[in-house]
Amino acid sequence: MGITRRQFLRWSGASAVGAVVFNGCRIPEEELQVESPVDLPEDLVTGIDNWYATICRQDQESCGIIVRVVEGRAKKVEGNPDYPINRGKHNARSEAGLQSLYHPDRITEPLFREGSSGEFTPISWAEAHGKIADSLRNLPDKNRFLLVTQPLRGHMALLASEFVKSYGGKHMAFETLEQVTLRRAIKDVFGQDRLPDFDIEHSKYLLSFGADFLSTWLSPVKYSRGYGELRQGAGKRGVHVQVDSRFSMTAANADEWVPVKPGGEGVLAMSMMHVIIREGLGDRVAANALTGGNGYMALDAFRPNNSEVRDATGVDASRIEGLAHAFADPANQPSLAIGGGSAGAHTSGLFNLRAIYSLNLLVNNVSQPGGIFFNPAPPLEELDSREVLDMGVPASFRDWKEMDRPQVLMVRGVNPVHGLPPDANFTTAVENADFVVSFSSFMDETAAMANLIMPEHTYLEDWGDDVPDPGPRYQTLGLQQPVVRPFYPGTGSFGDEMLALGKELGLNINDSLGLSGNDSPTFQDLLKKGAEKLWMENRGSVKAATFDGFWNGILQRGGWWDTESTDKTSPAAPSILSMAWPNIAFQGPTGDDTYNLIPFLSNSIADGNLAHLPWLQAAPDPVTSMVWHTWVEINTKTAEEKGIRVGDMMEITSPNGTVKAPAYVHPAVPPWTVSMPIGQGHTTFGRYAEGVGVNTLSILAPITDVDTNALAWAATRVRIRNTGEHIDIPRFEGNVPAFEAEEGRIIKIASPR
Amino acid sequence: MVNERVNHKWGMVVDIDRCTGCQACVVACQAENNIPLNTEAIFRQRRAIEWIHVERYWEGEFPDVKARFIPILCQHCENAPCEPVCPVYATYHNNQGMNVQVYNRCVGTRYCANNCSYQVRFFNYWEPVWPETLKNQLNPDVTVRSRGIMEKCSFDIQRLRKAEHVIEGQRGERITDENLREGNFLPACVQACPTTTLVFGDFNDPESQVSQMKEEHFVEGGRGYKLLEDLGTEPNVIYLKKVDIHAKTGVETHA
Repeated sequence: MGITRRQFLRWSGASAVGAVVFNGCRIPEEELQVESPVDLPEDLVTGIDNWYATICRQDQESCGIIVRVVEGRAKKVEGNPDYPINRGKHNARSEAGLQSLYHPDRITEPLFREGSSGEFTPISWAEAHGKIADSLRNLPDKNRFLLVTQPLRGHMALLASEFVKSYGGKHMAFETLEQVTLRRAIKDVFGQDRLPDFDIEHSKYLLSFGADFLSTWLSPVKYSRGYGELRQGAGKRGVHVQVDSRFSMTAANADEWVPVKPGGEGVLAMSMMHVIIREGLGDRVAANALTGGNGYMALDAFRPNNSEVRDATGVDASRIEGLAHAFADPANQPSLAIGGGSAGAHTSGLFNLRAIYSLNLLVNNVSQPGGIFFNPAPPLEELDSREVLDMGVPASFRDWKEMDRPQVLMVRGVNPVHGLPPDANFTTAVENADFVVSFSSFMDETAAMANLIMPEHTYLEDWGDDVPDPGPRYQTLGLQQPVVRPFYPGTGSFGDEMLALGKELGLNINDSLGLSGNDSPTFQDLLKKGAEKLWMENRGSVKAATFDGFWNGILQRGGWWDTESTDKTSPAAPSILSMAWPNIAFQGPTGDDTYNLIPFLSNSIADGNLAHLPWLQAAPDPVTSMVWHTWVEINTKTAEEKGIRVGDMMEITSPNGTVKAPAYVHPAVPPWTVSMPIGQGHTTFGRYAEGVGVNTLSILAPITDVDTNALAWAATRVRIRNTGEHIDIPRFEGNVPAFEAEEGRIIKIASPR
Repeated sequence: MVNERVNHKWGMVVDIDRCTGCQACVVACQAENNIPLNTEAIFRQRRAIEWIHVERYWEGEFPDVKARFIPILCQHCENAPCEPVCPVYATYHNNQGMNVQVYNRCVGTRYCANNCSYQVRFFNYWEPVWPETLKNQLNPDVTVRSRGIMEKCSFDIQRLRKAEHVIEGQRGERITDENLREGNFLPACVQACPTTTLVFGDFNDPESQVSQMKEEHFVEGGRGYKLLEDLGTEPNVIYLKKVDIHAKTGVETHA
């Protein structure tokens, strides 16, 4: 009906018919809600999109992203072409951040309950704030406060460290399948506190031990970008060899996969070292330093033809020699060895990683294109103190197991109740605490045990920053800004809340953070304070005459970096390697029907912190094409012998419990292992995660690396049993019927030029 | 509107030697094109919709086993088998080398999907459903397809139309690789791909990367090929062969 708003107002105002018109022919409500454009923010123009730069917080890599915003709603995530880590690229996980923002099961306002059971009731943010402040104020022994977060970096690390320093208590960073051992190995071999940058792009021979670097390891988008160039960039095509106890996505892409026995990675690396030193192929100075001047004889136990080497690695002497020759071959320089993931998740984890990274010293690739580059300190001095850097170092399994029971526990950004094996006793600690606060935006397993939930904004609605680790070889500070207004008025900012708590409790953190004189500082103020110092240094990617100009500049570009500010320290001289035969031990059953269980991070839902996002649940696993489930990968021949078919429900039993998962049978599972993705099996985490799959972490044995006490998560042995049940497993494979195509082979192969 | 002055022929080069199977393109496409949520039930029905998907093929047995990945999307064939079978002209070839689907003409006969040699057409067996809050993410430039409609890769035509409007219409410049990239006008899968497996551009522009790659690789002994070339569908998506260091020497253990 052709009635305009103006006509309507005129009619209803000027005549008695108004009431009738109002009742009988209602103007749609939406029309009455339309605001006049003069009141709208300047960047909100109907039908026009805006792109804002920020950083992605879906995983620890924190890529720079740009987000398309149309009329106040975030529509699409793309990589930020300027950002030094990912340079315009991104992955499936960063894409799905939008579903976290608009997730139907977000907690929209603070929830409280007396005691640890019973119903949550909604309260206001101010009331919730009062309750935390009271619980902290009334805590008799301040040391019994514990703050658990993801590894923190940048200004959030600074804030948390100041808070803990002036209030008391402790901070522990949680990382599922933690990289404790890797950091220790980098420190031992290169004397570096920070993870280095691996120049995959320019490498000619990339040897990776267990590191699933194309999928989930450290900085996968950056490595994938480099990998594309290694394959078909300007130079000669580089070769990638993956030594891995599992056929990971990265192993699937390798030119050559060496299926090593679990835990034998270090022995293999030592054996390669033996060959390189014996034949005088590598750097002699490094060889002397590593062996204490004793040469290859010091490594005699690791000679490739020693049957113990064969037993530990499952790799023939000739193949080990071949690997050593190729790695040290002058035609293959620069070559690069990296290691991590399952290679460091054994009782011999540190031994393995030390041996692997020491290979780099033999080919002398530190600070060489195609090799290893050290990263400089963070750009701001205050972000470089020991306390602040420690906020980014995850706690080891032993730390969790032996932690003092907290009375007040604050959990932010992580879900340790789901992510720690039961032996860590974290659940007991939560149960026994007097007051548990969760800042989760979702009702995850940890939040469900809390007394108070203060839902945090998602990262697309909040301020933040990041000092990437591993960095891009030069000083970088990524900036996270709200690209949309908070979708729910009841959520808040964790940083703001910590600052408010500091003030309420009379801690002097405002002063030590340089925010004195500001009555109610926000986290944004803290970031600006840091940015101001960068501005005054007048260097790097953004320079401006005024601070406002600088601030706008770094917001626009998604951060600040200075390509000149590389690490200037010279590497420490290599220290002597431990030549003692490692202790490779497992826990769990042996004999018939028993296997090494190799768990792995899912390419889409990672450690499970993204299991609530339907795009990621539906993104097929690259190797198996499985979706929406936990599965157990079994070798084709083994399965034939045992009569196991794809979809048969298997019982997987370790000393710590049993889970049930369908079998996925494929030819690339080493017959002595089975492998399972982690991250599923949520009892509560929103509609898309609940009841999907099982929690693989719940059956891991509490066995640790002998040197670092990190969880040896690849050292559990299991027994598998076919239950006789069978399900139709959800997977993409077979979505379209395969047809005979032998004539026109889909994937054609060429030989290298 | 289509700018009649510039004659484009859009196409893609897929370098399988770079593809790692990471699924970034798959999720990017779903975010850009309002693809219905692929629930567990939908996968069990074998009705998942992925305009671009990554196929994995096995070769060999343990320990000499290979998995090979290949991204498959609509090939935008010059002689598209799907086009002549549509009784209502819902799918046709436009003047820019693209095979396009007109949703409001489609009556759901599914003849096109039957006839497609690449299995890249997807039918909406169900009305797409999103929870109310997730609808905030939907792309306003792309129609949500209702039940009974066929859909497929569009090369993100909404972005190309915008590129024409902004670059050629407003600025009066010719579309190049650079200004496509700078304006975020490339298809979402191409922008996402971390390894630069996917390269998109104008085959009519000799300066474009796709034209140059085609010239470089479609030579004797080169890596260029087309999927199921024998069928004569003349795809506008071309592939570059996977390089295998063992290709000539068989299953030798080392290069």
